[in-house]
Amino acid sequence: MKRIPTLDRFSRRHWLQTSTCGFGGLALHSLMSRTASAATGPLDARAPLHEPRAKRVIFLFMAGGPSQPDLFDPKPLITRKHGQKIVAPIDDQQIRVGIANSVALGPVAPVRPRGESGMMLSDLMPHVASVADDLCLLQAMCTDNKAHAPATLQFHTGTLSDSLPSMGSWISYGLGSENEDLPSFITIHPPNDVRSYGSSFLPAAHQGTPVNVPEDDMASAIKYLRDPDTNANVQRRRLDFLQRMNKRLLDRVETDAQIEGIIESFELAFRMQSETPKLVDLSGETSETLELYGIGDEQADRHGRACLMARRLSEAGVRFVQVTVRGWDHHGDILTDLPKSCAGVDKPIAGLIKDLKRRGLLDETLVLWSGEFGRSPWSQDISGKSPIEKHGREHQQESFCSWMTGGGVKAGITYGSTDDFGYLPIEGRVHLHDLHATMLHLLGLDHEQLTYPHAGRDFRLTDVYGKVVDEIIA
Amino acid sequence: MMSKLATNMVYFIAVFACVGLLPALLPADDRPADQTDLNDSAVENPLGSSVTTLTAGQNHWAFQPVKKPPRPDVVEHTWPLSEVDFFLLSRLEDEGLTPSEDADRYTWLRRVSFDLTGLPPTVEEIRHFRDDTPPLAFAAVVDRLLASRAFGERWARYWLDLVGYADQIGTSNNIFAEYAWRYRDYVIDTLNEDKPFDRFIREQIAGDLLEYDSVEEQAANIAATGFLVLGDLEIVEADKAKLHADIIDQQLVKIGKAFLGMTIGCARCHDHKFDPIPQRDYYALAGFFYGTQSVYKTDQGVWSDAIDIELPETESDKAARTERTRRHTERIAALKQERSQAVARKSELDELVEKGEPPADQEVARDEVTKERDELTGRIEQLDKKIGHAEFFTPTVPRAYGVRDIGQPVDMRVTVRGNPHNLGDKVPRGFLQVVSNVLPDIPQTESGRRQLADWLASPENPLTARVAVNRIWQKLFGTGLVQSVDYFGLRGETPSHPELLDHLAATFIEDGWSQKRMIRSLVLSRAYRMNSENNERGSDADVGNRLFWRMNRRRLDAEALRDAILAVSGQLQPAAGGPAMPLEYPENVNNIDPESVNPPSFEIVKFRPEQAFQRTIYLPVLRSEPQPGTADLRNMFDFTQPAQFAGQRSITAVPTQALYLMNSPFVKKHAEDLAQRIMQDATDSDARLELLWLRALNRPITVEEKLDAEAFLVDDDNHDWIELSHAVLASSEFLMRL
Repeated sequence: MKRIPTLDRFSRRHWLQTSTCGFGGLALHSLMSRTASAATGPLDARAPLHEPRAKRVIFLFMAGGPSQPDLFDPKPLITRKHGQKIVAPIDDQQIRVGIANSVALGPVAPVRPRGESGMMLSDLMPHVASVADDLCLLQAMCTDNKAHAPATLQFHTGTLSDSLPSMGSWISYGLGSENEDLPSFITIHPPNDVRSYGSSFLPAAHQGTPVNVPEDDMASAIKYLRDPDTNANVQRRRLDFLQRMNKRLLDRVETDAQIEGIIESFELAFRMQSETPKLVDLSGETSETLELYGIGDEQADRHGRACLMARRLSEAGVRFVQVTVRGWDHHGDILTDLPKSCAGVDKPIAGLIKDLKRRGLLDETLVLWSGEFGRSPWSQDISGKSPIEKHGREHQQESFCSWMTGGGVKAGITYGSTDDFGYLPIEGRVHLHDLHATMLHLLGLDHEQLTYPHAGRDFRLTDVYGKVVDEIIA
Repeated sequence: MMSKLATNMVYFIAVFACVGLLPALLPADDRPADQTDLNDSAVENPLGSSVTTLTAGQNHWAFQPVKKPPRPDVVEHTWPLSEVDFFLLSRLEDEGLTPSEDADRYTWLRRVSFDLTGLPPTVEEIRHFRDDTPPLAFAAVVDRLLASRAFGERWARYWLDLVGYADQIGTSNNIFAEYAWRYRDYVIDTLNEDKPFDRFIREQIAGDLLEYDSVEEQAANIAATGFLVLGDLEIVEADKAKLHADIIDQQLVKIGKAFLGMTIGCARCHDHKFDPIPQRDYYALAGFFYGTQSVYKTDQGVWSDAIDIELPETESDKAARTERTRRHTERIAALKQERSQAVARKSELDELVEKGEPPADQEVARDEVTKERDELTGRIEQLDKKIGHAEFFTPTVPRAYGVRDIGQPVDMRVTVRGNPHNLGDKVPRGFLQVVSNVLPDIPQTESGRRQLADWLASPENPLTARVAVNRIWQKLFGTGLVQSVDYFGLRGETPSHPELLDHLAATFIEDGWSQKRMIRSLVLSRAYRMNSENNERGSDADVGNRLFWRMNRRRLDAEALRDAILAVSGQLQPAAGGPAMPLEYPENVNNIDPESVNPPSFEIVKFRPEQAFQRTIYLPVLRSEPQPGTADLRNMFDFTQPAQFAGQRSITAVPTQALYLMNSPFVKKHAEDLAQRIMQDATDSDARLELLWLRALNRPITVEEKLDAEAFLVDDDNHDWIELSHAVLASSEFLMRL
């Protein structure tokens, strides 16, 4: 008999491994150890390719484009010309709006040197300023598009359109999970675009699990996590009947990886109902910790809870935790609105860094703070009629600021700089692809080797781009 | 998306490729096609055609002309029912395998009903088929299914997966694609009319340039070109040259995947690394769309918009529209009248309050005045929104998204490294050289899309018919003869049955590119009747069933699952198409102020009541958010993201699916409806159980199941029946067709 060219002998085992997600790792593991002792699952922890500097990532995504001229990179020229028209070398291939009355716009609040490093940080974030010596500020970041949707997609997946795996999925794929009971990628208050946490062609186990911080006892952290009208015993009884049906079907067709996967997924789902609330329950934290994150503070409460949950998940071994904070798209009245946005995150973020540090976790956790782009040093006035006090700033992808801290990055440095306007990078330019490459490098992965074959070619997070920024690595 | 097995394989390969174990691990004939020869000998010049690559590539099986092979000999003469069966059986006999037994009639009926219409058979249909006489009974079922509207509703969704269909333009700012549904309805109609597939290609690529005999035909031709527009257009792109180049790229990628099974987009910046597609070919093809307009710059901010084209109307359409316009005008007038009355009354009250009346000591009367005034303020605000909305959405001539040729189309120039501001040499419009190096004869004033369509739809094109029949096969048998259904290139999967693939492709062309007749012949084959159960012999030799010794089981996709739940609960409502987005509700529409720098947008907070009961294909598809409403199960059950063009969906089993089946209000509600229906239609629990199984699983309940169910029904009351129905709807058997 001729051998049939296929690897399908592995199919059942592989199907289970590649298809069952997240929360069920432990049970999946035990199921497979019964059936295939040598199996390794997609979420099993894998050794990095080289010595890692960080084991996990927490990505604080400031959706909308936080204003770097106000927060990190004020320019004397702009401050001097505040309120005056300026001629800047802007790219004339791009259509711009709201620039008829555009004038130089100085920072809305003082920006000063902080700590021993003298890193420039705004008065709008006093708590973050107090940990400036832990930060690595990238002052000449850039990406490729100035619209929110494509820029957000690019930040998360490396591409401006299409549907490719998100960075959390790549990292999960590269390293697996440290905790068999948890997914390897969790996104708290995720961006609307599901592609920002999708796994695309990577196995579904690597997709992000969206989680909300429950606002009250009736809300659940994950959609359809509970059925408030049915008690657990009734549900269990129904589930037992349904599983008996499933097993009879399985007997009838002799073997079917898909049906086994479904059977297992129901058991995992049932356990998730009781396990997940424990995971997101912050009541075991001390009041000092809650205070540290600004929980209870009217403006900071929501993001404080999200950041504290992020720490708990990260501490428990989730590879990639993202916290999204919306509301940074300040096209108008930035004078009023930016301070509000800052007040919402200042304590939560500083609290997170301090908390990680005192727990000895900051060394192995890479924290990244960024928007999908930044904002222009000159003002924007969409109505064309507002006084300068009501102006805002337009999107800017040519240069903006992000920062990192923890796992393997230099602390207390400012890397890169922009021209006199704060428009174009003049040195230390870090393109998003370079940031992705560097992040993978710090995790012990090589962005050129972390590939996945799809539709006839090998794909990677950085496509054909990306260069590790050695200068910022400690 | 790759097949499940292909996905496993690449996963497997990927893991080991990382650590360099691949060559040792895989037997020689399992290794992916080796590209070193091609890469080494490819000509460096980015503009010249890489002669060596083309020559090497020409030997690839997919570029060979389709040749109709002779019917192979088989030993087991009594087994085949159709030509297809000879090809499969002959191969099985070569491998020492035997085909599986026929499935029972219940299983076959459920299978063919889901495969052709995405819906389960009704109890009446099951009984009729059970009592009908073979062999004609099978054909009668297939003909009934193919003639039903549900056929087009099922198969259109497969095509939409390849088009990037959504009811939203781009992903920025929630811009609604008001007329996208015209294309969706066009595809449904096309399938139901069994329009020849070559004609279907021509209409989608060049419908606006084709001759027509009637108003209806002209309208369909225009709507068909929505194919070229309904992708993930980033209309907020501030650099319009880049936008144009990106749209062309999307059009080429889509055409490459959907019709040719090629990854043409790879050649945008350089010669294709693996396939014989030089960069020159990309720009030769791009030229057809360089002279084609798909979007235009609007007056708002940086925005462009997709072109919408007026559709011709019949006389009765026109009369109906005039009547609609009249009613609409009346409605606006009535709203305005109501508003002015409200304003008048409010100013009276304002005056009173200002005068200090009623005096402070008459607290009750005072409160009443304030209350009425506040209500009026709210009412006026509401009316303003309604009036603004009504004035924005006036009845107009029907429109569809489509394309048109620009004035004097010219060839496109190479964009160096994909940068539209850095242009290289001009490339004359033409086709993939590996398939045809004849340059088309294009009239000076045309984009050449007609000529491109003719080339794509040509019987001589070795890719088009093969790709098309392979897609049909995959939808019926679970895996393609070529498993990588969207990719027939050098790195794709080789066909498991090359002669069968060619037999099907040749027959398809000979038979006038009829999809219905192709489907009919496949589902009436003996192969399609086989049961899906495993047996040791088959599993030992071919556990992945690449030789089709049994039927593949398939989990229902998101649409079939939701539609099936509606069907068995008795709540499914027929629909005739039309707008998916419920934009007629003012609360769903934002930003209709023409002064705004951003275009009108949607925020779906309210659905039409009937949308909860209509087939999933008629519900809105969004790009920037999770899928909304009762169709949100698409977020859990492997729906293709509309930014993708994918002929096959992945199938996963993740706990979020189980949570949905256990806890979602949708499944709970329909379990209740199903239980109620069962309890009404049969009087004793024995008959009810029979009916429940027949209705949901489309087969009689077994003795063992009956005992189990009776034990479950402790009180035999409403609640027990709901719980039982819920369990059945969440069962693996309900989720699958065997």
